[in-house]
Amino acid sequence: MKLQITMKNLSLLLSITLSVIILMSFTNKNKAVKTYELSEVNYTVPNDVQEIINNSCYGCHNSDSKSKKGKMKLNFDKMSTMKVGKRVGKLNKIHGVVEENDMPPKKFLKKYPEKALNEEDSKKLASWAIEMASQYINE
Amino acid sequence: MIKKLTILLLIGFLILQFFGPELPEVINKNPKDLITNNPDIPEDIKTILQVSCYDCHSNETTYPWYSNIAPVSFLVARDINHARDDLNFSNWEDMNKLDKASALDEITDVIIDDEMPMAIYTAMHRGASLSDQQKELLVSWTEEFSDQMFD
Ligand code: HEC
Ligand code: HEC
Repeated sequence: MKLQITMKNLSLLLSITLSVIILMSFTNKNKAVKTYELSEVNYTVPNDVQEIINNSCYGCHNSDSKSKKGKMKLNFDKMSTMKVGKRVGKLNKIHGVVEENDMPPKKFLKKYPEKALNEEDSKKLASWAIEMASQYINE
Repeated sequence: MIKKLTILLLIGFLILQFFGPELPEVINKNPKDLITNNPDIPEDIKTILQVSCYDCHSNETTYPWYSNIAPVSFLVARDINHARDDLNFSNWEDMNKLDKASALDEITDVIIDDEMPMAIYTAMHRGASLSDQQKELLVSWTEEFSDQMFD
Protein backbone atom coordinates (compact mmCIF):
# COMPACT_ATOMS: atom_id res chain seq x y z
CA MET A 1 0.00 0.00 0.00
CA LYS A 2 1.41 3.33 -1.03
CA LEU A 3 0.88 6.34 1.14
CA GLN A 4 0.38 9.49 -0.85
CA ILE A 5 0.61 12.97 0.48
CA THR A 6 -2.79 14.25 -0.40
CA MET A 7 -4.85 17.01 1.13
CA LYS A 8 -7.01 14.36 2.75
CA ASN A 9 -4.13 12.56 4.44
CA LEU A 10 -2.61 15.81 5.56
CA SER A 11 -5.78 17.08 7.15
CA LEU A 12 -6.24 13.74 8.89
CA LEU A 13 -2.72 13.94 10.30
CA LEU A 14 -3.35 17.49 11.44
CA SER A 15 -6.56 16.67 13.24
CA ILE A 16 -4.95 13.69 14.99
CA THR A 17 -2.07 15.87 16.18
CA LEU A 18 -4.49 18.50 17.37
CA SER A 19 -6.57 15.96 19.31
CA VAL A 20 -3.48 14.55 20.98
CA ILE A 21 -2.39 18.03 22.05
CA ILE A 22 -5.85 18.80 23.44
CA LEU A 23 -6.00 15.49 25.30
CA MET A 24 -2.52 16.00 26.73
CA SER A 25 -3.36 19.43 28.00
CA PHE A 26 -6.32 17.91 29.82
CA THR A 27 -4.31 15.17 31.50
CA ASN A 28 -1.67 17.70 32.45
CA LYS A 29 -4.26 19.82 34.15
CA ASN A 30 -5.53 16.81 36.08
CA LYS A 31 -2.05 16.01 37.24
CA ALA A 32 -1.51 19.34 38.94
CA VAL A 33 -4.33 18.99 41.48
CA LYS A 34 -7.14 16.54 40.99
CA THR A 35 -10.33 18.42 41.74
CA TYR A 36 -13.81 17.04 41.41
CA GLU A 37 -16.92 19.05 42.04
CA LEU A 38 -19.67 17.00 43.56
CA SER A 39 -22.65 19.01 44.66
CA GLU A 40 -21.11 21.41 47.19
CA VAL A 41 -18.12 19.42 48.28
CA ASN A 42 -14.65 18.93 46.93
CA TYR A 43 -12.47 15.89 46.75
CA THR A 44 -8.95 17.01 46.06
CA VAL A 45 -5.70 15.10 46.05
CA PRO A 46 -2.61 17.31 46.05
CA ASN A 47 0.33 16.16 43.98
CA ASP A 48 2.53 15.04 46.85
CA VAL A 49 -0.27 12.97 48.38
CA GLN A 50 -1.11 11.42 45.02
CA GLU A 51 2.50 10.35 44.69
CA ILE A 52 2.42 8.64 48.08
CA ILE A 53 -0.81 6.86 47.18
CA ASN A 54 0.58 5.77 43.82
CA ASN A 55 3.71 4.38 45.39
CA SER A 56 2.25 2.61 48.42
CA CYS A 57 -1.48 2.02 47.99
CA TYR A 58 -2.86 2.34 44.49
CA GLY A 59 -1.50 -1.00 43.24
CA CYS A 60 -3.99 -2.92 45.39
CA HIS A 61 -6.75 -0.35 45.69
CA ASN A 62 -7.81 0.38 42.10
CA SER A 63 -10.50 -0.89 39.73
CA ASP A 64 -8.18 -3.41 38.04
CA SER A 65 -6.55 -4.65 41.22
CA LYS A 66 -6.00 -8.39 41.54
CA SER A 67 -6.71 -8.13 45.25
CA LYS A 68 -10.47 -8.63 45.34
CA LYS A 69 -10.70 -7.81 49.02
CA GLY A 70 -8.47 -4.77 48.74
CA LYS A 71 -10.45 -3.40 45.82
CA MET A 72 -13.77 -3.98 47.56
CA LYS A 73 -12.77 -2.19 50.75
CA LEU A 74 -11.12 0.78 49.07
CA ASN A 75 -10.96 1.80 45.42
CA PHE A 76 -9.20 5.10 44.77
CA ASP A 77 -10.71 5.24 41.25
CA LYS A 78 -14.15 5.54 42.80
CA MET A 79 -13.43 8.01 45.57
CA SER A 80 -14.35 11.05 43.48
CA THR A 81 -17.76 9.76 42.46
CA MET A 82 -19.05 8.01 45.57
CA LYS A 83 -21.68 9.50 47.84
CA VAL A 84 -20.50 11.83 50.55
CA GLY A 85 -21.19 9.61 53.57
CA LYS A 86 -19.41 6.69 51.99
CA ARG A 87 -16.43 8.80 51.05
CA VAL A 88 -16.12 10.21 54.55
CA GLY A 89 -16.23 6.65 55.88
CA LYS A 90 -13.43 5.57 53.55
CA LEU A 91 -11.28 8.65 54.24
CA ASN A 92 -11.62 8.13 57.98
CA LYS A 93 -10.51 4.52 57.55
CA ILE A 94 -7.50 5.58 55.49
CA HIS A 95 -6.54 7.88 58.37
CA GLY A 96 -7.03 5.00 60.79
CA VAL A 97 -4.98 2.36 58.97
CA VAL A 98 -2.14 4.78 58.27
CA GLU A 99 -1.99 5.95 61.91
CA GLU A 100 -2.01 2.34 63.10
CA ASN A 101 0.62 1.31 60.55
CA ASP A 102 -1.76 -1.37 59.25
CA MET A 103 -1.27 -0.53 55.57
CA PRO A 104 0.40 -1.52 53.32
CA PRO A 105 0.05 -5.08 54.70
CA LYS A 106 3.12 -6.30 56.64
CA LYS A 107 3.44 -9.41 54.50
CA PHE A 108 3.57 -7.31 51.36
CA LEU A 109 6.22 -5.01 52.83
CA LYS A 110 8.51 -7.96 53.52
CA LYS A 111 8.69 -8.51 49.78
CA TYR A 112 8.60 -4.87 48.73
CA PRO A 113 10.18 -2.83 51.52
CA GLU A 114 10.44 0.19 49.19
CA LYS A 115 6.63 0.52 49.30
CA ALA A 116 6.61 1.28 53.01
CA LEU A 117 5.54 4.74 54.15
CA ASN A 118 8.28 6.74 55.82
CA GLU A 119 7.32 8.90 58.75
CA GLU A 120 6.86 12.06 56.73
CA ASP A 121 4.73 10.42 54.04
CA SER A 122 2.69 8.67 56.68
CA LYS A 123 1.92 11.99 58.37
CA LYS A 124 1.11 13.69 55.06
CA LEU A 125 -1.28 10.94 53.97
CA ALA A 126 -2.99 10.68 57.35
CA SER A 127 -3.55 14.41 57.72
CA TRP A 128 -4.80 14.73 54.15
CA ALA A 129 -7.35 11.97 54.80
CA ILE A 130 -8.63 13.34 58.08
CA GLU A 131 -8.82 16.92 56.75
CA MET A 132 -10.66 15.76 53.63
CA ALA A 133 -13.11 13.85 55.81
CA SER A 134 -13.61 16.61 58.36
CA GLN A 135 -14.47 19.33 55.81
CA TYR A 136 -17.86 17.67 55.38
CA ILE A 137 -18.79 18.11 59.01
CA ASN A 138 -20.97 21.14 59.62
CA GLU A 139 -22.09 21.25 63.20
CA MET B 1 -13.59 -50.76 73.96
CA ILE B 2 -16.15 -48.46 72.34
CA LYS B 3 -18.18 -48.46 75.52
CA LYS B 4 -15.17 -47.42 77.59
CA LEU B 5 -14.32 -44.66 75.14
CA THR B 6 -17.87 -43.33 75.24
CA ILE B 7 -17.86 -43.25 79.02
CA LEU B 8 -14.50 -41.49 79.02
CA LEU B 9 -15.77 -38.88 76.58
CA LEU B 10 -18.90 -38.37 78.63
CA ILE B 11 -16.85 -37.81 81.78
CA GLY B 12 -14.60 -35.40 79.92
CA PHE B 13 -17.66 -33.53 78.67
CA LEU B 14 -19.09 -33.26 82.18
CA ILE B 15 -15.81 -32.02 83.64
CA LEU B 16 -15.54 -29.47 80.83
CA GLN B 17 -18.79 -27.89 82.02
CA PHE B 18 -17.02 -26.60 85.13
CA PHE B 19 -14.49 -24.72 83.02
CA GLY B 20 -16.87 -23.09 80.57
CA PRO B 21 -16.39 -19.34 79.98
CA GLU B 22 -18.67 -16.68 81.35
CA LEU B 23 -20.85 -15.43 78.50
CA PRO B 24 -20.64 -11.68 77.75
CA GLU B 25 -23.02 -9.68 79.90
CA VAL B 26 -26.55 -8.83 78.73
CA ILE B 27 -27.63 -5.21 79.31
CA ASN B 28 -31.12 -4.25 78.24
CA LYS B 29 -31.08 -0.51 78.90
CA ASN B 30 -28.66 1.23 76.57
CA PRO B 31 -29.09 5.02 76.39
CA LYS B 32 -26.52 5.32 73.58
CA ASP B 33 -28.22 2.72 71.39
CA LEU B 34 -28.61 3.35 67.64
CA ILE B 35 -32.30 2.51 67.42
CA THR B 36 -33.28 4.21 70.70
CA ASN B 37 -31.67 7.47 69.58
CA ASN B 38 -32.85 7.42 65.98
CA PRO B 39 -36.61 6.91 66.00
CA ASP B 40 -36.75 7.86 62.29
CA ILE B 41 -35.03 4.67 61.19
CA PRO B 42 -37.61 2.81 59.05
CA GLU B 43 -39.34 -0.11 60.77
CA ASP B 44 -38.10 -2.72 58.28
CA ILE B 45 -34.50 -1.64 58.87
CA LYS B 46 -34.95 -1.78 62.65
CA THR B 47 -36.31 -5.29 62.28
CA ILE B 48 -33.41 -6.42 60.09
CA LEU B 49 -30.85 -5.05 62.54
CA GLN B 50 -32.59 -6.46 65.61
CA VAL B 51 -33.29 -9.89 64.16
CA SER B 52 -30.06 -10.44 62.23
CA CYS B 53 -27.36 -8.39 63.97
CA TYR B 54 -28.27 -7.38 67.52
CA ASP B 55 -27.63 -10.79 69.09
CA CYS B 56 -23.92 -10.31 68.41
CA HIS B 57 -23.48 -6.57 67.81
CA SER B 58 -25.28 -5.16 70.84
CA ASN B 59 -25.50 -5.64 74.59
CA GLU B 60 -28.97 -7.11 74.16
CA THR B 61 -27.91 -10.64 73.30
CA THR B 62 -30.54 -13.36 73.61
CA TYR B 63 -28.64 -16.55 74.38
CA PRO B 64 -30.17 -19.83 73.23
CA TRP B 65 -30.10 -22.63 75.84
CA TYR B 66 -27.21 -24.50 74.23
CA SER B 67 -24.90 -21.49 74.39
CA ASN B 68 -24.26 -22.31 78.06
CA ILE B 69 -22.96 -25.77 77.24
CA ALA B 70 -19.23 -26.20 76.71
CA PRO B 71 -17.65 -26.41 74.17
CA VAL B 72 -20.33 -24.39 72.33
CA SER B 73 -20.06 -21.72 75.04
CA PHE B 74 -16.42 -21.07 74.14
CA LEU B 75 -17.32 -20.33 70.53
CA VAL B 76 -20.31 -18.18 71.43
CA ALA B 77 -18.35 -16.14 73.99
CA ARG B 78 -15.51 -15.57 71.57
CA ASP B 79 -17.77 -14.51 68.69
CA ILE B 80 -19.86 -12.14 70.75
CA ASN B 81 -16.81 -10.50 72.32
CA HIS B 82 -15.23 -10.01 68.89
CA ALA B 83 -18.47 -8.76 67.39
CA ARG B 84 -19.09 -6.21 70.17
CA ASP B 85 -15.48 -5.03 69.95
CA ASP B 86 -15.80 -4.36 66.22
CA LEU B 87 -19.27 -2.85 66.21
CA ASN B 88 -21.67 -2.39 69.12
CA PHE B 89 -24.99 -0.77 68.23
CA SER B 90 -25.65 -0.27 71.97
CA ASN B 91 -22.79 2.27 72.08
CA TRP B 92 -23.60 3.95 68.76
CA GLU B 93 -23.86 7.51 70.04
CA ASP B 94 -20.41 7.29 71.66
CA MET B 95 -18.90 7.45 68.18
CA ASN B 96 -18.15 10.70 66.37
CA LYS B 97 -19.62 11.33 62.91
CA LEU B 98 -16.53 10.14 61.10
CA ASP B 99 -16.45 6.82 62.92
CA LYS B 100 -20.17 6.39 62.35
CA ALA B 101 -19.61 6.93 58.62
CA SER B 102 -16.86 4.31 58.65
CA ALA B 103 -19.04 1.85 60.56
CA LEU B 104 -21.94 2.33 58.13
CA ASP B 105 -19.58 1.86 55.23
CA GLU B 106 -18.27 -1.36 56.76
CA ILE B 107 -21.81 -2.63 57.15
CA THR B 108 -22.37 -2.01 53.43
CA ASP B 109 -19.20 -3.93 52.63
CA VAL B 110 -19.98 -6.99 54.76
CA ILE B 111 -23.53 -7.20 53.39
CA ILE B 112 -22.46 -6.90 49.75
CA ASP B 113 -19.73 -9.46 50.37
CA ASP B 114 -22.15 -11.82 52.17
CA GLU B 115 -19.90 -11.99 55.24
CA MET B 116 -22.66 -11.07 57.69
CA PRO B 117 -24.67 -12.33 59.47
CA MET B 118 -22.16 -15.11 60.18
CA ALA B 119 -23.06 -18.38 58.48
CA ILE B 120 -22.82 -20.38 61.71
CA TYR B 121 -25.48 -18.07 63.18
CA THR B 122 -27.95 -18.25 60.31
CA ALA B 123 -27.58 -22.03 60.33
CA MET B 124 -29.03 -22.02 63.85
CA HIS B 125 -31.33 -19.00 63.41
CA ARG B 126 -33.05 -19.49 60.07
CA GLY B 127 -35.06 -16.30 60.41
CA ALA B 128 -31.86 -14.24 60.62
CA SER B 129 -30.60 -14.84 57.09
CA LEU B 130 -31.28 -11.92 54.76
CA SER B 131 -33.17 -12.08 51.49
CA ASP B 132 -31.74 -10.23 48.50
CA GLN B 133 -34.42 -7.62 48.97
CA GLN B 134 -33.50 -7.12 52.63
CA LYS B 135 -29.83 -6.79 51.68
CA GLU B 136 -30.67 -4.09 49.15
CA LEU B 137 -32.82 -2.27 51.68
CA LEU B 138 -30.08 -2.38 54.29
CA VAL B 139 -27.38 -1.21 51.89
CA SER B 140 -29.37 1.75 50.60
CA TRP B 141 -30.31 2.68 54.14
CA THR B 142 -26.68 2.67 55.35
CA GLU B 143 -25.69 4.98 52.49
CA GLU B 144 -28.60 7.33 53.05
CA PHE B 145 -28.20 7.40 56.82
CA SER B 146 -24.53 8.21 56.39
CA ASP B 147 -25.19 10.99 53.85
CA GLN B 148 -27.72 12.58 56.20
CA MET B 149 -24.96 13.28 58.72
CA PHE B 150 -23.15 15.53 56.24
CA ASP B 151 -26.05 17.44 54.71
C1 HEC C 1 -0.50 -5.53 48.76
C2 HEC C 1 -1.77 -4.92 48.58
C3 HEC C 1 -2.14 -3.68 49.42
C4 HEC C 1 -1.47 -2.48 49.51
C5 HEC C 1 -0.16 -2.09 48.85
C6 HEC C 1 -2.30 -1.64 50.35
N1 HEC C 1 -3.42 -2.32 50.73
FE1 HEC C 1 -4.96 -1.58 51.87
N2 HEC C 1 -5.87 -3.40 51.83
C7 HEC C 1 -5.40 -4.52 51.16
C8 HEC C 1 -6.29 -5.63 51.44
C9 HEC C 1 -6.13 -7.05 50.89
C10 HEC C 1 -7.31 -5.15 52.29
C11 HEC C 1 -8.46 -5.94 52.90
C12 HEC C 1 -8.00 -6.46 54.23
C13 HEC C 1 -9.03 -7.24 54.95
O1 HEC C 1 -10.09 -6.69 55.24
O2 HEC C 1 -8.77 -8.41 55.24
C14 HEC C 1 -7.02 -3.74 52.51
C15 HEC C 1 -7.80 -2.92 53.30
C16 HEC C 1 -7.62 -1.55 53.40
C17 HEC C 1 -8.53 -0.65 54.08
C18 HEC C 1 -9.81 -1.04 54.78
C19 HEC C 1 -9.47 -1.50 56.17
C20 HEC C 1 -10.65 -1.99 56.94
O3 HEC C 1 -10.48 -2.25 58.12
O4 HEC C 1 -11.74 -2.11 56.39
C21 HEC C 1 -7.99 0.60 53.99
C22 HEC C 1 -8.58 1.89 54.52
C23 HEC C 1 -6.73 0.48 53.25
N3 HEC C 1 -6.54 -0.83 52.91
C24 HEC C 1 -5.88 1.53 52.97
C25 HEC C 1 -4.63 1.39 52.37
C26 HEC C 1 -3.69 2.47 52.25
C27 HEC C 1 -3.92 3.89 52.72
C28 HEC C 1 -2.58 1.95 51.64
C29 HEC C 1 -1.28 2.66 51.30
C30 HEC C 1 -0.61 3.32 52.36
C31 HEC C 1 -2.84 0.54 51.35
N4 HEC C 1 -4.10 0.25 51.83
C32 HEC C 1 -1.98 -0.34 50.70
C33 HEC C 1 -4.29 -4.59 50.35
C34 HEC C 1 -3.36 -3.57 50.19
C1 HEC D 1 -23.14 -14.77 65.26
C2 HEC D 1 -22.76 -13.45 65.57
C3 HEC D 1 -22.87 -12.36 64.51
C4 HEC D 1 -23.99 -11.91 63.86
C5 HEC D 1 -25.41 -12.43 63.98
C6 HEC D 1 -23.55 -10.78 63.06
N1 HEC D 1 -22.20 -10.57 63.21
FE1 HEC D 1 -21.09 -9.09 62.40
N2 HEC D 1 -19.40 -9.84 63.28
C7 HEC D 1 -19.38 -10.95 64.11
C8 HEC D 1 -18.00 -11.20 64.51
C9 HEC D 1 -17.55 -12.35 65.37
C10 HEC D 1 -17.22 -10.19 63.90
C11 HEC D 1 -15.71 -10.01 64.00
C12 HEC D 1 -15.08 -10.74 62.87
C13 HEC D 1 -13.62 -10.71 62.96
O1 HEC D 1 -13.08 -10.00 63.80
O2 HEC D 1 -13.02 -11.43 62.15
C14 HEC D 1 -18.14 -9.35 63.15
C15 HEC D 1 -17.74 -8.24 62.41
C16 HEC D 1 -18.62 -7.38 61.79
C17 HEC D 1 -18.24 -6.14 61.16
C18 HEC D 1 -16.83 -5.59 61.05
C19 HEC D 1 -16.15 -6.17 59.86
C20 HEC D 1 -14.78 -5.61 59.64
O3 HEC D 1 -14.32 -5.66 58.50
O4 HEC D 1 -14.16 -5.15 60.60
C21 HEC D 1 -19.39 -5.59 60.67
C22 HEC D 1 -19.49 -4.26 59.91
C23 HEC D 1 -20.48 -6.48 60.97
N3 HEC D 1 -19.98 -7.56 61.65
C24 HEC D 1 -21.78 -6.25 60.64
C25 HEC D 1 -22.83 -7.12 60.90
C26 HEC D 1 -24.19 -6.90 60.48
C27 HEC D 1 -24.67 -5.68 59.68
C28 HEC D 1 -24.92 -7.96 60.90
C29 HEC D 1 -26.40 -8.21 60.67
C30 HEC D 1 -26.86 -8.18 59.31
C31 HEC D 1 -24.02 -8.85 61.63
N4 HEC D 1 -22.75 -8.30 61.58
C32 HEC D 1 -24.39 -10.02 62.26
C33 HEC D 1 -20.45 -11.70 64.52
C34 HEC D 1 -21.75 -11.53 64.10
